[in-house]
Amino acid sequence: MSASAQTAVLLDHLFRRQAGRMTAHLVRLLGPAHLDLAEETVQETMLRALQTWPYNGVPDNPAAWLFRVAHNAAIDAVRRNRFIGRQSDAVIAELYHSANAGPEDPRLEEQLRDDELRMIFMCCHPEIPHDARVALSLKTASGFSVREIARAFLADDAAIAQRLVRAKRQIRERRLTLDFPEGSGLRDRLDSVLEVIYFLFNEGYAAHEGEDLIRQDLCGEALRLGRLLADSSLSIPRADALLALMALQAARLPARVDEAGDLILLEDQDRSRWDQQLIALGFHYFDRSIAGDDVSGYHVQAAIAATHARATNLESTDWPAILCHYDDLLALTRSPVVELNRAVALAKVRGPAEALAAVEKLQSNPRLSDYYLLLAVRGHLLLELERRPEAAACFQSALALRCSEPERRFLQRKLAQCAPSGVI
Amino acid sequence: MPQYMLLLYENSANLQRLSPEEMQKATEKYMAWRNLPFTKDGKRLADGTGRVIRPENGKPRVSDGPYGETKEVLGGYYTIEAASYDDAVKHSLTHPHLEYGGTIEVRHVFGS
Repeated sequence: MSASAQTAVLLDHLFRRQAGRMTAHLVRLLGPAHLDLAEETVQETMLRALQTWPYNGVPDNPAAWLFRVAHNAAIDAVRRNRFIGRQSDAVIAELYHSANAGPEDPRLEEQLRDDELRMIFMCCHPEIPHDARVALSLKTASGFSVREIARAFLADDAAIAQRLVRAKRQIRERRLTLDFPEGSGLRDRLDSVLEVIYFLFNEGYAAHEGEDLIRQDLCGEALRLGRLLADSSLSIPRADALLALMALQAARLPARVDEAGDLILLEDQDRSRWDQQLIALGFHYFDRSIAGDDVSGYHVQAAIAATHARATNLESTDWPAILCHYDDLLALTRSPVVELNRAVALAKVRGPAEALAAVEKLQSNPRLSDYYLLLAVRGHLLLELERRPEAAACFQSALALRCSEPERRFLQRKLAQCAPSGVI
Repeated sequence: MPQYMLLLYENSANLQRLSPEEMQKATEKYMAWRNLPFTKDGKRLADGTGRVIRPENGKPRVSDGPYGETKEVLGGYYTIEAASYDDAVKHSLTHPHLEYGGTIEVRHVFGS
């Protein structure tokens, strides 16, 4: 038994991480048409670890052990089936070569990162339906199971499984490859990859205390993929901007809820609880993102997050700068949600009355008709203007709309503040 | 202190359904149990079909088996120290193997 057998705790997410990269790696060696075989091989490898380590001890280098066992299993499978036809011998030779390199080899490390990127790029191929891209990336490059993906997106297992089956059929029938597209194709694919990463992040960011932890894992995975892309030779300024945006927002996660699990708004957060390491990471990539001429929505949102991160307290927040950024973002997106956020900044710069007028213009927008935040913001502005009965009516209507438990408690607290002053 | 042997039977299909993350959690739980002071030894039996030798018409006959596809196969064993069967069973009941659908057979090692 090795010395490390004495410890019972493995590196966080070791199996998931290794499952993702080994699947990507094997898919490159076996070919995308054999994605299922790669997944089965990896699953078998993980099972082998679960079945042997508890008796014989954890190997000195767990990742290397998994890597070697996965390659041997893949070699056996190719030999058994010889389904790759005349290429079987070449595939086996490559598998041997790669197995002997071992994951400590720096060149292999680079190769594995490249494999993962290729895998994600293939998952975001235009032939793969939008709703399947996220699930396929999580399944193949990130090592999530069908059930975990379903839980993360509050969907049912069968729906996710079916989405994956269809996507894999598409890969086989359209003979999708792991080649990076060229020219304008690359640009489009990058945008699609960024979209998937940002979607993952937002789903994770929207998760609340008390909810399944798997949802919160999505933030970490989005950051990891964002970094993988931003650190690669394919990176473009908007990839840096997205990573900056995610890091700066994720930095605030520890301060977002109190011990009771109640939401704490940005302005009331204890800024000493913001994650300084993530803020540093965010600024590093933000600086890189403004190197070119590219200005994307990610850039503007990162600029907003950076302005908040720079302020050591609420009073020193540069609201005019934030309002400016929201104007830019609105010009880029024309999104009513952005307009609503802009109203919050407007209230800080020009007062609640002007902001209220902006919010009222949004009320007829059908896209916001069941969005509780519209009413919450309106109620908040009315409260600032001392129009308490109207504010109370807003929070009451907001409570009737779909929102999470912590959000509900937040609205109830706001509603309580609407009681006529002097009455406790 | 008397020794007891724990024979762990398992159904791979139960474990195969776990995600990598869940397999890691399971591995950690098994390892934690392995590291408890009463556990003296443990070994995994190799996967794949073994050989069974039994007499047939007075001559030993070798055949393949048990097959891995069999519902439950002996996957490995631990030797633990316990004061009594009750004690050995008490330790075995804390083993995560049960949570993952496995079976444990507890046997006193004769003379220990």
